[in-house]
Amino acid sequence: MVMFSHLRRFTVRDEHGADASLRDLSVDLSAHDYPPVARIIFRHNQRAHLGWEEVRRIDLRQRRIIVSDLARATPLADEPLEKSALLDRDVLDALVLDLANRHSMRANDLWLEEHDGKLELRAADISAWAVVRRLGNGLLGHGSHRHLLDWQDVEFLRGDPSAARGGHDYHHRVASLQPSEIARLLDAVPYLHAAELLELVDKELAADTLEVMRPERQVQVFEELMQERRIGLLRLMAPDHAADLLARLGPDRARDDLEALPKQQRERVLELLRYPDNSAGGIMTNDLVLVESHLRVGEARDALRERLLKPDFVYYVYVVDSLEARRLEGVVTLRDLLVAEPHDGLRETMRRGVAILDPLMSADAAAHRVADQHLAALPVVDKDGRLLGTVTADAALLQLAPASMRGAEPRVFT
Amino acid sequence: MTLRTEERLATPAPELDLARMLERRRGVRLSIRGRNVTLRGLSAPRSGVLGLLTLLGPGLIAATAGDDAGGIATYSQVGAKYGYDLLWVLLIVTITLAAIQEMAARLGAATGRGLLDLVREHFGIGWTLLMVVVVLVANGGVIVTEFAGIAAASELFGISRYIAVPLCALVMWYSVSRGSYAAVEKVFLVMTLAFFAYPASVVLGHPDWGAVLHGTFVPTLSRESGYLPMLVALIGTTVTPYMQLFQQSSVVEKGVARRHYGEERTDAYLGAIISNLIAACIIIAAAATLRVAGITEVQTAQDAAAALEPAAGKAAQALFAIGLLGASILAAGVLPLATAYSVSEAFGFRKGVNLDFRRAPFFLTIFSVLIFVGAAVALLPGIPLFQLLIGIQVLNGVLLPSELVFIMLLINNRRVVGDLRNGLGNNIVGWGSLGLVSTAVGALLLNQVFGFMG
Repeated sequence: MVMFSHLRRFTVRDEHGADASLRDLSVDLSAHDYPPVARIIFRHNQRAHLGWEEVRRIDLRQRRIIVSDLARATPLADEPLEKSALLDRDVLDALVLDLANRHSMRANDLWLEEHDGKLELRAADISAWAVVRRLGNGLLGHGSHRHLLDWQDVEFLRGDPSAARGGHDYHHRVASLQPSEIARLLDAVPYLHAAELLELVDKELAADTLEVMRPERQVQVFEELMQERRIGLLRLMAPDHAADLLARLGPDRARDDLEALPKQQRERVLELLRYPDNSAGGIMTNDLVLVESHLRVGEARDALRERLLKPDFVYYVYVVDSLEARRLEGVVTLRDLLVAEPHDGLRETMRRGVAILDPLMSADAAAHRVADQHLAALPVVDKDGRLLGTVTADAALLQLAPASMRGAEPRVFT
Repeated sequence: MTLRTEERLATPAPELDLARMLERRRGVRLSIRGRNVTLRGLSAPRSGVLGLLTLLGPGLIAATAGDDAGGIATYSQVGAKYGYDLLWVLLIVTITLAAIQEMAARLGAATGRGLLDLVREHFGIGWTLLMVVVVLVANGGVIVTEFAGIAAASELFGISRYIAVPLCALVMWYSVSRGSYAAVEKVFLVMTLAFFAYPASVVLGHPDWGAVLHGTFVPTLSRESGYLPMLVALIGTTVTPYMQLFQQSSVVEKGVARRHYGEERTDAYLGAIISNLIAACIIIAAAATLRVAGITEVQTAQDAAAALEPAAGKAAQALFAIGLLGASILAAGVLPLATAYSVSEAFGFRKGVNLDFRRAPFFLTIFSVLIFVGAAVALLPGIPLFQLLIGIQVLNGVLLPSELVFIMLLINNRRVVGDLRNGLGNNIVGWGSLGLVSTAVGALLLNQVFGFMG
């Protein structure tokens, strides 16, 4: 085992006895759990690099890396190493994401180990002692196993969203976490890191993560994404979340993004944006499952099958006179639909006289109404009886919960 | 959960709600794909005076933090000793402060990171440690002054400093580390309103306005021995290193996106101007009262309080004590917290309130040491509080250039701040300020060395 701060002071010597001073090591992040060193970068008249296959051995006692022939080195300018990760330039002293504990730490030192003829990046030393040791110029020993962050649990980011778009090396490990966990992790890193991560994961995961992020963080991160990505995410987000996000971006940016959205999602979002955010219309969602009242239960099941393939949480199916007029006649639960006989009419099966909300009543009153009724959602209906959306128990909880319960950290700089 | 079939509930008079809401939120008219829609879910940015007020935020707080115990002591002394003669320095320092605070805010918005974090990643561990030491010494010094301010204020009320200071230290340590600081904070914030008596004192104290204008726009230099330290102290207390750290970190915490940076600029500029208007009021009030009455050395809080007499009469001392206590306690809570936060950031340790010792040992250790050592130093027997206050401002002035260099280098680095990097105007003011401060500090140090050698 060797600490990178120690290794960096090694000389590179070839079999003809020529010396060069080591400058950096590039690692291959895509290869393994523990990324192996791919090239060594050194100064031998000029900055140059050699592939790891040219390395014969590492002499820890003499502090030397023995290579075959320095003359075979490629000058650095010939082949830019922009896209690979360099330990000194990129990784040492940088923030790394600790996926196991879901926060970010600083790589105060790096621990490498030889394995199967390769030198692998095993862990990041996150202790204060690592800092002291580096300043001690090797006089204070070469590190211990305590306070090591196993590299298997690390996602390494560059703090540059364009790097993720540009096909740089990444581990892509963060995708194993739940959206809410990723959102919490992203709260703990600078916003450019957060944007980089959202560029990195696939669209579905990014959209789900964006939905549950803190509002300010959401805006910061969203503004860093390219428009194509932004539109892609807005399309996948629930319309109420998309509307909330657009509202925070300000009118000009909202218009640009709305114009670029596909028609169906655009109409939904626009419908929601008509209402002030402190009204029932402002906290409702209009992503509903509707069925026409003249159908029989069996026909309704067939009609809904396609619609229910989408994994959104569905509990109520709203029964309307027609899909165009959308006048609300009643409600059936999925359970109602399952237990009823296929030839029963929907009008006989559905529940009538549902409590409804007015889109312009205050958001607080609407949220209280949902909570009081102990229902998963209440429909929002306009004066003509047309169904506009529903206020779900989730939305009601978010409206009523104090800021401290929405996961907001207490602020340090007031 | 089952669906209860109930009577259809009539919604309680939604029209009333509606009327009130439409009044408040007229929404925004947009043309989207050729269709005009009114979106009440959007709100247009406010304009006019109201709009300006909504912009005030971290910039104002960071800059007015300069009007704390050390600030009041320094400004009072400046006014008492040199009258209006140093107002020109304050004018220049206002431009400097505005430029520097704006750069710090911009650095925060462009990167989403604190200053020490950036220094660590772009200048390496050695420079980071140097900066950590500078920050600890400068902020540690200011924390001592805040406790000195608490001591001075409590003694005006007739309470021994040996009771007031430890008590305040304990209360601040507990409330800040337990995250219940926000509630306590408001009380002290209200107390600082007592300092509005300064502008009133300026008006009622009938200063010689001709002399005020002369002092503001015509620079005068003096060879008198106390002049140079006073000048550095004036710079040091107005442009304190922690103000930039605070400004940058609070912009980061507020979550300002690069594209929405414009508003922060206004906030930073306004903050600097308002803060220094208050400073000017203190200097003018002190000059018009203390100096006129023949007091040229402000030795104690009683002396300084006399500057409020034109506005407050016999209540001057009480008013001064209330304001000083509020301002000192506010800063005594926030400063150790902000310092521990920045230092933890440099090393990548966990930080933030509501963490226990097991999870954030480094952060809480620094925080606790700063508070309790700061309080202990302010309690050293026989320490002359007001001279200590001013002495530490000199120290801050001396440490300022080292921090400014990093801000200037980072804000000019395209890789760090991208399109938000400095323009020519900003660079002229920025490097110019750095040059001026360094010259003043250099002159002071040389002066001390030669003075020492006789």
